[in-house]
Amino acid sequence: MANSPAPQDKAHTRTLDLWLRARGKSVKSPLNIAVALGGMNGFFLIAQCWLLAHVLNDTAINHHPLASVWGYIAGIVGLFLFRAGLNFAQLRFTFEAGARLRSDLRSQLFEHINNLGPAFSRAQRSGAIATEVVDGVEALEKYFSLYLPQMQLAIIIPAAILVFVFPFDWVSGLILAITAPLLPVFMMIIGKQTEKLNQEQWQSLARMGAHFFDMIEGLTTLKLFGAARREAQFIGKIADDYRLQTMKVLRVAFLSSMVLEFLAALSIAMVAVYVGFRLMYGDIHYLNGIFVLLLAPEFYLPLRSMGTQFHARMDALGAVEPIIDLLNTPLPPQRSGLNTLSLNAAPTIRLEHIHFAYPAPTGSSAPPTPVLQGLNLTLTAQTQTALVGASGAGKTTLSQILMGFIPLQSGEIWINDTALSSLTPAAWQAHVAWLPQNPSLFHGTLAENIAMNPADINLQALHEAAAAAHALEFIERLPQGFNTLVGDRGQGLSGGEIQRIALARAFYKNAPVLILDEPSASLDLESEQLITEAVARLSVGRTVLVIAHRLATIEHSAHIAVLDRGHITEQGTHAALIARHGAYAELYRQYRSAGL
Amino acid sequence: MRIARPAARHRALKWLMALTRPYLGWMLAGVGLAALVILSNVALLAVSGWFITAMALSGLTGAVINYFTPAAAIRGLAISRTVGRYLERLVTHEATFKLLAGLRQWFFEQLEPLAPARLQYLRGGDLLSRIRADIDSLENAYLRIFSPSLAALIASLVMVIFLLFWSPAIAFTNLMGLMLAGVVLPLATLKLGLHSGKAMVEARADLRQRTSETLRGMAELTLYGNPSQRILAIQTENTALITPQRQQNRIDAISSAAIGLISQLTWLGVVVLAIGLVQSGVLDGPSLVMLTFFAMASFEATAALPLAFRAWGETLSAANRILDLVDAKPSVTEPSAPQPAPLRFDIQFTEVRLRYPGAMNNALNDVSFSLPQGQKLALRGASGSGKTSITQILLKFWDFDAGTISLGGQNLRDLSGDTVRGLCAVVSQQVHLFNTSIAANLALAKPNASQEELFEACRAAAILDDILALPDGFNTLVGEAATRLSGGQARRIGIARALLKNAPIVILDEPTEGLDAVTEEIVTTALGRLLIGRTAIIITHRPKLLTLADQILTLDCGRVIKHINQSKL
Repeated sequence: MANSPAPQDKAHTRTLDLWLRARGKSVKSPLNIAVALGGMNGFFLIAQCWLLAHVLNDTAINHHPLASVWGYIAGIVGLFLFRAGLNFAQLRFTFEAGARLRSDLRSQLFEHINNLGPAFSRAQRSGAIATEVVDGVEALEKYFSLYLPQMQLAIIIPAAILVFVFPFDWVSGLILAITAPLLPVFMMIIGKQTEKLNQEQWQSLARMGAHFFDMIEGLTTLKLFGAARREAQFIGKIADDYRLQTMKVLRVAFLSSMVLEFLAALSIAMVAVYVGFRLMYGDIHYLNGIFVLLLAPEFYLPLRSMGTQFHARMDALGAVEPIIDLLNTPLPPQRSGLNTLSLNAAPTIRLEHIHFAYPAPTGSSAPPTPVLQGLNLTLTAQTQTALVGASGAGKTTLSQILMGFIPLQSGEIWINDTALSSLTPAAWQAHVAWLPQNPSLFHGTLAENIAMNPADINLQALHEAAAAAHALEFIERLPQGFNTLVGDRGQGLSGGEIQRIALARAFYKNAPVLILDEPSASLDLESEQLITEAVARLSVGRTVLVIAHRLATIEHSAHIAVLDRGHITEQGTHAALIARHGAYAELYRQYRSAGL
Repeated sequence: MRIARPAARHRALKWLMALTRPYLGWMLAGVGLAALVILSNVALLAVSGWFITAMALSGLTGAVINYFTPAAAIRGLAISRTVGRYLERLVTHEATFKLLAGLRQWFFEQLEPLAPARLQYLRGGDLLSRIRADIDSLENAYLRIFSPSLAALIASLVMVIFLLFWSPAIAFTNLMGLMLAGVVLPLATLKLGLHSGKAMVEARADLRQRTSETLRGMAELTLYGNPSQRILAIQTENTALITPQRQQNRIDAISSAAIGLISQLTWLGVVVLAIGLVQSGVLDGPSLVMLTFFAMASFEATAALPLAFRAWGETLSAANRILDLVDAKPSVTEPSAPQPAPLRFDIQFTEVRLRYPGAMNNALNDVSFSLPQGQKLALRGASGSGKTSITQILLKFWDFDAGTISLGGQNLRDLSGDTVRGLCAVVSQQVHLFNTSIAANLALAKPNASQEELFEACRAAAILDDILALPDGFNTLVGEAATRLSGGQARRIGIARALLKNAPIVILDEPTEGLDAVTEEIVTTALGRLLIGRTAIIITHRPKLLTLADQILTLDCGRVIKHINQSKL
């Protein structure tokens, strides 16, 4: 029953509420129009009751014929139609307010995610963020389209009714008025009750749901330990315990809303009885009496449906929290200039005194985790440099810095004689191609996935790139060829084929600097050979950095650098490093002995 | 797409009825109370209208009137409306919670024999959240659908019968209005909204997918593409979601206005008819006012129906999906006369062949190996080469098509799944830790383990110090956990759990994949302790783990392409 966790405490709930209300300001005008339409609807409802009171007075008391009241009836029908129009317009305006708000919020979220850049995205679970951006934002809809306008109408309409009741029958007015100051009190009571229900019941319901789905997710583990059947009994028992415990709370919790119901029903009854007796004694006119009785149920109607609105609010409060967190994620400090860069040939890249530390998680007093500590490395123009090191040594961080995804903290990267920090990130990234370990494909055609710019595809270059990457063979075998649609996980393509698409991307970009993440060991043998051959051709004439996860393919690299605890500890050719009997030689021996 | 056949619809309906049968008493009581609340409210207003008119007439004409009975009735109805509503909420919630408990236990029991073979997509999270939503809508079926519709039906019947005593024409008019506002218009709305409803679901899934692929591929988009163009594309997707929603909103707004209009026109029609009857002397004034209020209030009965109809389609497809899931045949048939557990633990595969249903190629092709008790076999190969299939069939999670597997000299097919799994301890890349304390997670392996045993297992798994360093020690909840326990720690708890189980056979599935160097070292050492004296199958690419193996089997496309036997060297 619970889909999103309920907020924890009152002060926190209030912060979230204020944030949502502040957002609501951006759609103030459609929301105000919607409230105005609702208010008008309430006003015409009063008029409708007034006409009906006349009809009943004329026919039931004065025994006038039907023919004499047709005028009133026509008026009532007119009001029906008019109010139906108002009802329609109100729903449309609240929708548009919510729709605009959701669109704006989504745009803002995307922009922020985009500004946070690849370094941020890498660390996220993409599915969780997608749920926040899509379903989380959807869950806010009712806060704006239902909760906010109805809260205002729940005050406006009863107040308007009261204004009309008083002049017609002050006693009934008094009965309603006595309950009127209680309205805000009741709203608070209902609000608090829903909140309480949320915090206690909803949360334990969510916990129980979490337990249930946790058991389903871990079903294999339970089976491995022979515990699955025992747990099945448990699930039933936990749910039953929950029922007993919750019903105890609900028995009390429902009482407070019963008080409201009771007052509403009792007021109507009192109005009826008092009006009845005073009519008998001739104290008031029947017209006034019946008018008041027609209005009495309408007086309480908005309040009685308040519970639904509070639920909409709690749903929104549960969903908005991760959204606010995401929007509040601070942008990384930028260390970049405004210059652009033009390169005629593959450059020499010098990394000087590079330091980098990941900041400790917010709220933690731990010091930042240092990754790179004064690293120096030269990538000679038009040669291949291989970076070797245990996982966790900082290879990935280094490649992220080199691609401009993580800003430099200290030190400098020189591209020929230009400092990286003087360039805009995009100016530098235009010269870099990257072959990742696990390439991503995007929803679209294969052509779009290679060219990556749907607006401008050079077919000639596309074919050449695909051929060079050994991708043309399998692309042409596909019935739709380059127009084959692929999804984000590359449905229908094997791991090797996805790698070759990514290679074609790099050939197509034809950038002077190339960063290669060695594919993880999950390719079939044929693909591996084809890819190795294509990569060798792609590397010719470019400045290449290979992030080596295995050693077999880099033996022939012109230059091998060993990264250990943030420093380059050894560098040279394969033969020279083996002769040194250092860390590289040891690593190499381990891989050899394992038959790799 | 598949269209639900009548049989399927029938099946879901029958199943829903069977599911609710044990709680039928509570459910019917809830429905009865809901109908009582509606009728009390209608009666309260109708009697009030009658009363004040009769009082006014008696005031004007001086006629004597018994005002005690109606005045008391008005108060009584006010109370029965309130108390009825309170009891209704209690009873319907009680029924819902009972249904929830029963449904969950039933579902879990049905799922158990299917895991993991038929549920392998659960990991992706998509199916799991789908199941979550489906179970959710089934649990709410009573509150959202059955209770309001049955109550509306009962209340409408009673009201129409009551009206028949006064005037067939009025009864007929009111009935028509109730049918139009409660059934015809909501159904028409549903039908009109079918198209945009489908578009909405699709657009939402598209937007979700586009968002997650953008996040996953942000680095490539930055280097190769144009991120601002990407934002534009996603905004287009957002519009694609809003557009059908707007269409739906138009339909809903028209429907809501129309339902309001129909109910108002209906009671106005009743008023006109009643005025005619007053003129012809069939009815008196107070009855006219009573019928007016009665007709006005009668539409409270059908107010909840549009939402109930909407939920109905949803619930039906949820029921069908859940049934499809649990109707799957378990992939392994248990032996009719299971043999007792073997006393030796050598493992022999002879020309084992396996093909997954719907697959083009065999997952395992004549795989043979012989692993003497106490030896370790390493499996290497690309993903999809068949490594995991070997462990899955050994654990009796999948059945194989040809060849023989023997365990301690016994045919694997003669052993029950529970027996085989009782002999094996598994540590995989993804250790599933349950949302409970670390102690309870460990106790899964040995419910009656003593504290010394717990400590000993954790020490051997090199996790004891980490656990004791936590503020709550062994009572630390793993719940909010992914943050508090690192991947390496979770895996070491998995190892401790395997140690506690003290099984003679160990299966490791890439247990050090994705760990940093230091952690890998620690985990590998811990694994070394687990492997001592046990027969083991290890799926891995890591050189350190491979050095522990006596035999190395390299697989490609389900075939053994290289078999190194280091024990013979």
